[in-house]
Amino acid sequence: MLEIKPIFNALRRSKVGAILLFLQIALTTAVVSNAAFMINDHLSYLKEDTGFVQQEIFSFGLMTFGKDIDLHQQAERDEDMIRRIPGVIDAVFIQAVPLTGGGSSTSSHLRPPPEESKSLSLAYYNADEHTLDTFGVTLLEGRNFRPEEVVIGSDFDGHGPNTVIVSQAYAQEMFEGESALGKTIYVSSRPLEIIGVVETMKSPWPRGDRSSRTSIIPFINVQNFHRVMVRTEASERDSVMKVIEDKMLSQYDQRVIINIRGLEESKNSYDATDVLMMRMLMVLVVILVLVTALGILGLTQFNISKRTKQIGTRRALGARKSDIIRYFLVENAMICTVGLVIGSFAAFFLGRVLMNAYSINALEMQFVIGTAVGICVMSLLAVIVPAMRAANISPSIATRSI
Amino acid sequence: MFLHYIDLSIRSIKSTPVISVLMVFAIAIGIGLTMTSLSVFHMMSMDPIPHKSQAIHFPQLNIMDEGGEWHTDDNIPYQLTYQDAINLYNADADFPRSPSFRSGFSVHLNTPDVKPTMEPARLVYQEFFSIFERPFIFGAPWSKEEQQSKPYVVVISESINNRLFNGQNSVGKSIYLDNKSYRIVGVVEDWDHHIKYYDLNNGAFNSPEKLYVPFSIAPLEEIGTWGNTNGWKHETLNGYQSLLQSELVWVQFWVQLNTAAEKEAFSALIMAYMEDQQSKGRFNRDNLQYALRNVTQWLKYNQVVSEDNRILVGLSFMFLLVCVANILGLLLAKFLKRAPEVGVRRALGASKKHIFAQHIVEVSVIGLAGGILGIVIAQLGLWGVRTTNRYYEALATMDVSMLLAAPTIALMASFIAGLYPAWLVCRTQPAIYLKSQ
Repeated sequence: MLEIKPIFNALRRSKVGAILLFLQIALTTAVVSNAAFMINDHLSYLKEDTGFVQQEIFSFGLMTFGKDIDLHQQAERDEDMIRRIPGVIDAVFIQAVPLTGGGSSTSSHLRPPPEESKSLSLAYYNADEHTLDTFGVTLLEGRNFRPEEVVIGSDFDGHGPNTVIVSQAYAQEMFEGESALGKTIYVSSRPLEIIGVVETMKSPWPRGDRSSRTSIIPFINVQNFHRVMVRTEASERDSVMKVIEDKMLSQYDQRVIINIRGLEESKNSYDATDVLMMRMLMVLVVILVLVTALGILGLTQFNISKRTKQIGTRRALGARKSDIIRYFLVENAMICTVGLVIGSFAAFFLGRVLMNAYSINALEMQFVIGTAVGICVMSLLAVIVPAMRAANISPSIATRSI
Repeated sequence: MFLHYIDLSIRSIKSTPVISVLMVFAIAIGIGLTMTSLSVFHMMSMDPIPHKSQAIHFPQLNIMDEGGEWHTDDNIPYQLTYQDAINLYNADADFPRSPSFRSGFSVHLNTPDVKPTMEPARLVYQEFFSIFERPFIFGAPWSKEEQQSKPYVVVISESINNRLFNGQNSVGKSIYLDNKSYRIVGVVEDWDHHIKYYDLNNGAFNSPEKLYVPFSIAPLEEIGTWGNTNGWKHETLNGYQSLLQSELVWVQFWVQLNTAAEKEAFSALIMAYMEDQQSKGRFNRDNLQYALRNVTQWLKYNQVVSEDNRILVGLSFMFLLVCVANILGLLLAKFLKRAPEVGVRRALGASKKHIFAQHIVEVSVIGLAGGILGIVIAQLGLWGVRTTNRYYEALATMDVSMLLAAPTIALMASFIAGLYPAWLVCRTQPAIYLKSQ
């Protein structure tokens, strides 16, 4: 019915064209499915919720070189001043800004350190009771810090805080499903009682498996270089960002304000390498598919021009136009199938090589299947135009030059 | 003969414009994409200081007690403790060497008309300038005597000198770093590097510092690092002095060792130092361990070339392969169509060799055109890279070797694609075509 045998025999006569087509399809399948998988990987990371109301928050760095003030008192005065600026919702002095790639993490334990116990790495933000409000994260269980629980000083082990708020992801990982509220964790040798659990709150390093294990520790140790986060009404942010430097300097001028940046801007610059890789892969995939489609088009055209006489003869002997079209479609489908099968194996092989050499997850099946289906459809589309043209070859061609 | 072939190929290209343009584009796009990723890769993996990369070394000590784990390949911390850096510097030996770390100051002239700015600074000893061959515009590095007893001196970079002193010779003048006055002893050229190989802490492509102050300022002004500080055991820190005595690692160290013998001598010095420290209660381990890597090895050890980039280079070469397969197909179509003409030429006495050469020349012309167009596409691609990521500003460019590589790779690709079609067409039997004329 489909005339597979004669088509196969004809292919054996002109191997080169078929092999080229097969090679292209196999290579394209292997490359595109892996690239698509990586694109998806980057994309799902970029779309991940960070927990922060990014478009309402900005941050800046504060470098104080004057030695004639008490940094903590000045911080209090600054916070008050910023919170009173119209449009500002809240503001907080903090040792690390989320999503920027720079921050602190420590190890946390279930028992005081010399004892062996379960331990997890934990990113932390050191700031006061205004933090939740400034971040805009959702408190799931428990409560916020009370002002008297916030400790100011430099000796964390000796006179540090007693409370902590952790992220849900950390709570679940540390306590494996039990409620974390009221439990104690040890950070260096200090016991901290978990008084609140927040939903999503990413660390300063949003890429990676550990980015969700975060906490807020109410411990303030203002340094010469410190960071400030401000949350405003979304529409007011730009205007507040413009005046913040002058307002801060008019409070006290022996200092420098740097890096006044919206939170999503910080995130974007942290993500720039991901975005770049994604875009390059996308360009690669699109052009590769286009080039392969053109290749199929060209090769089919070539096959047809070589067989003009045969087609004419077939038509003269009674083959309908649809028979001619079908011939080329089946021929293409045969090459395509072999190419896709080999290409899929090559895809998994390539995926394995990449996984062994680099920190990439194992290639998932659906990407190979999706790519194979896509390439199959594309190659059929690419063959239809030349096949229709072949069908229009007049039977008289066959008789003309004999 | 060669010119005649070129003439023939241009005629042939003109007679089949569509197919020729398609081929040129196929090569151009393949080359464009490949060169984009290859250029970034090339810049990332380029030797930053070719004539000295084998001489400049970074010593690492394994300060951990037995059983300690570090996340490096060889289990040795990336940086040194303050005390080890100071001791290695003060050790009795002639090799130029310097500890170093990145920090920053607010810079001003203590006058109301210049607003203070924040500038990153590097704390080093005077040998640093000669090890890394920093060219001075005015003045010179501070002296050994100054860095020991009168350390409030500074070397500023060209751009700061331009901003604060309009590019005039500012040696001898003073600027304020934070709230202290420092005397300018030298103005050094801005460091225009692709890879910040001398300090990979804040990212390998971070911008260079614009101020240099003596390392001996650190304990006086209690200057903290802007890079990483890591520890391997629990220590309670109480102030800056305890940081200096702690086992925390946060200082980099460079030493220039020109010959294998010098390297051996410095290794012996490190070993002797570690044994001495062991007798004082540190380095509680069975095997004393250190590493002494030169710049090339250091960059490799720190995995400066990103994974993403290696993957991209690999994928784009596969893409080029697909393009080659495509061109091969197109060439087959083109050349075989011309078989009757070739038959006549063969009948008139052209040898197979001649036919083959003629077609290879034609393919090369197409390849060359594709390569040149490919450079244009690669420039477009690199522009895209630069606008996506400012980090790549200095990296996403093509240097001369890459500009030459583009047409070379294009020629090779088209040659590979043309070999089989040219061979096929030169085997044309003249008789067949003469018959049907």
